[in-house]
Amino acid sequence: MPMGSDPMERVVKLASESAIVIFSVSSCCMCHAVKRLFCGMGVNPTVYELDQDPRGKDMERALMRLLGNPQAVPVVFIGGKLIGSMDRVMASHINGTLVPLLKEAGALWL
Amino acid sequence: MANHRVGETGLTDSGPSNHHHHIPYAHVLHGMNAPTSFLHQEGAAFDFGELEEAIVLQGVKFRNDNEAKPPLFTTPRPAATLDMFPSWPMRFHQTPRQGSSKSGDEISTEDSESAVNTLSSNKTENNQLEPESPISKKASSFDHKPLQQQQQQHLQHLQQLQQQQIDQMASDNSRTGTTSQQQNQSASAAKTTPQEKRRGSTSEKQLDAKTLRRLAQNREAARKSRLRKKAYVQQLESSRIKLTQLEQELQRARSQGLFLGGCGGAAGNISSGAAIFDMEYSRWLEDDQRHMSELRTGLHAHLSDSDLRVIVDGYISHYDEIFRLKGVAAKSDVFHLITGMWTTPAERCFLWMGGFRPSELIKMLISQLDPLTEQQVMGIYSLQHSSTQAEEALSQGLEQLQQSLIDTIAGGPVIDGMQQMAVALAKLANLESFIRQADNLRQQTLHQLPRILTVRQAARCFLVIGEYYARLRALSSLWSSRPRE
Repeated sequence: MPMGSDPMERVVKLASESAIVIFSVSSCCMCHAVKRLFCGMGVNPTVYELDQDPRGKDMERALMRLLGNPQAVPVVFIGGKLIGSMDRVMASHINGTLVPLLKEAGALWL
Repeated sequence: MANHRVGETGLTDSGPSNHHHHIPYAHVLHGMNAPTSFLHQEGAAFDFGELEEAIVLQGVKFRNDNEAKPPLFTTPRPAATLDMFPSWPMRFHQTPRQGSSKSGDEISTEDSESAVNTLSSNKTENNQLEPESPISKKASSFDHKPLQQQQQQHLQHLQQLQQQQIDQMASDNSRTGTTSQQQNQSASAAKTTPQEKRRGSTSEKQLDAKTLRRLAQNREAARKSRLRKKAYVQQLESSRIKLTQLEQELQRARSQGLFLGGCGGAAGNISSGAAIFDMEYSRWLEDDQRHMSELRTGLHAHLSDSDLRVIVDGYISHYDEIFRLKGVAAKSDVFHLITGMWTTPAERCFLWMGGFRPSELIKMLISQLDPLTEQQVMGIYSLQHSSTQAEEALSQGLEQLQQSLIDTIAGGPVIDGMQQMAVALAKLANLESFIRQADNLRQQTLHQLPRILTVRQAARCFLVIGEYYARLRALSSLWSSRPRE
């Protein structure tokens, strides 16, 4: 499969490869919080640390544009679909839509 | 020239405000010389409609003369310049005497000097040549009489004048630069060309485009100035009110011992963002009481579900508002929120990330909300579970932030203090996002409750929440005011 040089393409590609994908920066504490959230739910997310990726900077910029937010990370994809940043993830968990999504994507078996 | 005018009449002039009123006073003075009507008149035909409008406007103007802000045809000076002489701004906007002096009835844009000259000359002429004119008499008397008197006199005279002008106009269709004064005069003096120099003479029907535009612009500028001034005054007023409220709040807070003992002068140490938030929060608390009594009466009155729904939605919006305010406050003073200095001591005791802990609130509610259906019970427990997980995640994230901060500050020999501080500051900035996420969690939890409960249950639920925190606050007050040995 040809590797797209477009960073957004790469983001989408990586996001579709696993049931739950988190784009993160290793020093970011909010990223740590979202990782802890999923681990606490018994989910094992695939995490890409953009500061450790050679194309990370470009991908971060692409995510910024996608979210319309200077804060690119953390950002969560479930089943290849964009869920959003921490606030969207938490809202989704509180209103009960997160768990069904995880189950549907095969990230959670309970 | 206006200065001359003032000097001559001895009337005071509301100085700077003059500049806001660019309407040629003389235009207004001379009956049908309402600038608009004036400007619209062309040729010899006289428009009675416009005359009437001008007269009416003059009447309005006179009534308003004693007020601060007369409408439309305003003059900063009182009836003083009721006579034919222009007020201050006039010299920039008025039609010059010279216009009238040219019997061509041309109102050309004038320059101040000529206006000045013509003004003084006019006055002189007026006095000299038209002694019978009520206005000229008036003019001289202006110098000596008190303002009010002059105004009244002027009003009478002008009314007479207007009538005379109407008569004159009716009989004289060809405007040949006759001024209102002249109309009052015996024919000879009245119609002489020099009299035309009178400012804003009624005879001037033709204004060139430039003057028209200028006059219109001046009106517009005057209007805008008035609006600006009004807005500014309103702003000052509300600021003053806010200030007194703030002071009251600080006073109240200080007396209730909200500021911890260690900082006796704490009131002086509070940041402006924090002070503003505290004030808004106390207002929110008052609103809270109002909402609660609404809920109470709504429940007891057995309102319909839709009516109750409105009240419930109102309470949720009320909470949305405090979260919004906290978001603003977090930007300016996140420590104020984190340390809980905005709440009462008892609340502060249970503080989690700058506010209440959602799972604790749910736990409290579970016992208060019976009877619940099985599905509702599951919904509530699920809500408690997910909020606990979210709280855990945020707490762990915050812990990592704290650890990272400690590492930065404590790290090794201080080789580059400023660099170290810069890094620490950047990390500290993340505090705001954690507080925002915590408030977001609180908000989402409250929004979820009416989705699980019926309307009546939701109303009761919010009443319970409101009363719970009210009691906690009351407990704080009692505690701080208890007799100590």
